[in-house]
Amino acid sequence: MNALTSHLKLLEDESIHIFREAAAQFRSPVLLYSIGKDSTVLLHLARKAFFPAKPPFPLLHVDTTWKFRDMIAFRDRTVKQLGLDLIVHTNHDGLARNINPFDNPPSIYTDVMKTVALRQALDTGGFDAAFGGARRDEEASRAKERVFSFRAAGHRWEPRRQRPELWTLLNGRLGKGETVRVFPLSNWTEGDVWRYIALEKLDVVPLYFAAARPVVTRDGQLIVVDDERMRLEPGERPEMRKVRFRTLGCWPLTAAVESDATTLDQIVVETLASKNSERAGRLIDHDQAGAMEMKKREGYF
Amino acid sequence: MTMAALQEQIAVEGRAAPASQGRGMVRLLTCGSVDDGKSTLIGRLLWDSAAVLDDQRAAIEQASQNRAINGEKIDFSLLLDGLQAEREQGITIDIAWRYFETSDRRFIIIDSPGHEQYTRNMATGASHAEIAILLIDARHGVKRQTRRHAAICDLVGIKKVVLAVNKMDQIDWSESAYRAIEQDFLTLAASFGFEEIATIPVAALAGDNVVRRSSHMSWYSGPTLLDYLETVEPEALPADAPFRMPIQLVLRAANDFRGYAGTVTSGRIRRGDRIVDARSGHSAIIERIVTMDGDLAIAIKGDAVVLSLDTDIDISRGAVLSETGRRPTNADVIETRLVWLSEAPFDPELGYLLRTATDLVPVTSMSVSALIDFETLESKPAHNCGVNDIADCRILLGRPASLDLFRDLPPTGSFVLISAIDGATVAGGVITWAQSGAPAMSDNVLVLNRELLARGVCADLGNSPEDQAEFHRRAQEVAILLRSAGVPVSIEI
Repeated sequence: MNALTSHLKLLEDESIHIFREAAAQFRSPVLLYSIGKDSTVLLHLARKAFFPAKPPFPLLHVDTTWKFRDMIAFRDRTVKQLGLDLIVHTNHDGLARNINPFDNPPSIYTDVMKTVALRQALDTGGFDAAFGGARRDEEASRAKERVFSFRAAGHRWEPRRQRPELWTLLNGRLGKGETVRVFPLSNWTEGDVWRYIALEKLDVVPLYFAAARPVVTRDGQLIVVDDERMRLEPGERPEMRKVRFRTLGCWPLTAAVESDATTLDQIVVETLASKNSERAGRLIDHDQAGAMEMKKREGYF
Repeated sequence: MTMAALQEQIAVEGRAAPASQGRGMVRLLTCGSVDDGKSTLIGRLLWDSAAVLDDQRAAIEQASQNRAINGEKIDFSLLLDGLQAEREQGITIDIAWRYFETSDRRFIIIDSPGHEQYTRNMATGASHAEIAILLIDARHGVKRQTRRHAAICDLVGIKKVVLAVNKMDQIDWSESAYRAIEQDFLTLAASFGFEEIATIPVAALAGDNVVRRSSHMSWYSGPTLLDYLETVEPEALPADAPFRMPIQLVLRAANDFRGYAGTVTSGRIRRGDRIVDARSGHSAIIERIVTMDGDLAIAIKGDAVVLSLDTDIDISRGAVLSETGRRPTNADVIETRLVWLSEAPFDPELGYLLRTATDLVPVTSMSVSALIDFETLESKPAHNCGVNDIADCRILLGRPASLDLFRDLPPTGSFVLISAIDGATVAGGVITWAQSGAPAMSDNVLVLNRELLARGVCADLGNSPEDQAEFHRRAQEVAILLRSAGVPVSIEI
């Protein structure tokens, strides 16, 4: 065994247990793969849980068409290397209506291109369970969530009616119309994710490492210009700055941070010393108070 | 030392040397009656131990302006009450999970709701904790809900309790009032299986004795809450506990590989050891202990592994692999203590399923024998139970399941009860007694023996001649009822 620190070993074992319980209890699970660091750890744990067999479920990527190009390249490379099945879903109705992060407020854009898209993909695939990389330390409503998070018909999360979840006895019996989100990383923190990636020497999207990138500053947030669709304000000119990402989403809505961290060990140190939470760089979560809970009630993972 | 300096010191220690080589994780629960200050206590603990980040601090400070309490600038409960309904109503509805590290430890904190209505959520939280911080409002002392929460902590297997007597500032930091509450609690706790009870006087809103030592209670020389949490040793099963591994999945892979995936819940196992499936009696020798990081020579409690065996035996999910000597009981009659979690009360006519570590067994019949009275903490005879009750129940299973007693091996001695109709989890409980095979069945005749009767229907009877006469009368009555239902019965007392 490699040198997992003691609490990371406990977390890894707990996650593997959750993966196996879900695979045993649900008819048709799928793994929501969003390419970022959490998805990287999630996928690695899924492989460990079923080794020497392959994970008995496909990956699903909800592609808003506004992901960083580096992310898509990384996704395709990973899937090919590991020989896994990948489903890519885009809300084509949203595309046809030209819903995009520049013309629409973040709440509308996220709802159409992420939440609705996810519901479409899950319904089309007939999946009764979806693994997600959500962690309870991310955000206040996530801190309230169960490992098996039941969703009523229409994928609605009803926070006042969460199922009791005692010991490690995960009850996956579904009621009529119900589906489940499964969160194997529930008890991981951002620091744990990076320490684990460093210990296990996992490949991550290069955008997590500091490099000189074209950046504009908006409302104090650093936005990286990823392709020609960027709309510059009058007088705005991208400048090269050494930045990296703590969290990866759609590029116009995910802010970078200035950093010199170019190795995993430096990222671990920077993460543990940070004075801000990673969600500070997620523009969609600040649109209104309780934004995450609202999105989850509407079927976001 | 100033507050700021102390915060800075903890911040430096806590963040520069994360708990990487430490003693793993400690899982804590906060519980107690409503308004005793649970969320405030944890909020204060996080705030003062620098586990709250700048943008979160700013958001809390902003939100607090709308909800100033007692003239304080910060409403610490906002750190934990993450649901809109909770913020609107100023109450905790569901458990909140928070994470923080000091130089010594990684903590998982589970903040639970105090309202009786949300007891099911508190029970969920308690089952994941090793140590409970039970809060009491110093002005009100021990309340009914305090006793209920203590009883649930005991039921789910928590062995260490910190009694935090809160709002000491509201009673002028009175030592005598504190001692009286402490004594009250120690008296009631005598009926539980707690192994260690610490009591700490605190004022969570102002932060006294949470992270920072109070200057108002010179009579208290014990640790602050954080001091205590950093040094308390979580419970560990003895190293020589019997081996158990409930099977989650059978895995097949290339080259005819067939392996059994599961987590070792107690004891240890080595390559070459013989294991047995208690349910079928099949045994085999462990050929490989497989992980993606390479084969292991030994697997211990907590390890999620895959075992491959030297011979193909027909076992599947639900089986519990054990060593050949100390096996689980292959039981179809169990006695249990459970907490009822569903709004719908127990209904003997409804179908239920018993979910153990990885097995799912239909319940043939179930009966309630007693309820805990939350005023006296005594068990009282009863036939029904409803939401938030703690009940003793006898359960007959549709087929035998491999089980242990909770007091011996908690992971294979606990269960949840599931509604067969909608899949809801209606109760969680522990196995207090298990019997192998139907009670003394011979030639399909049910034998009513002394032991069987003494456990339930005659449990209240002693050895006096009057009681023994009553014993025989009840035995006859039971036999008549069973025969009238078509069950052949013989009495052997």
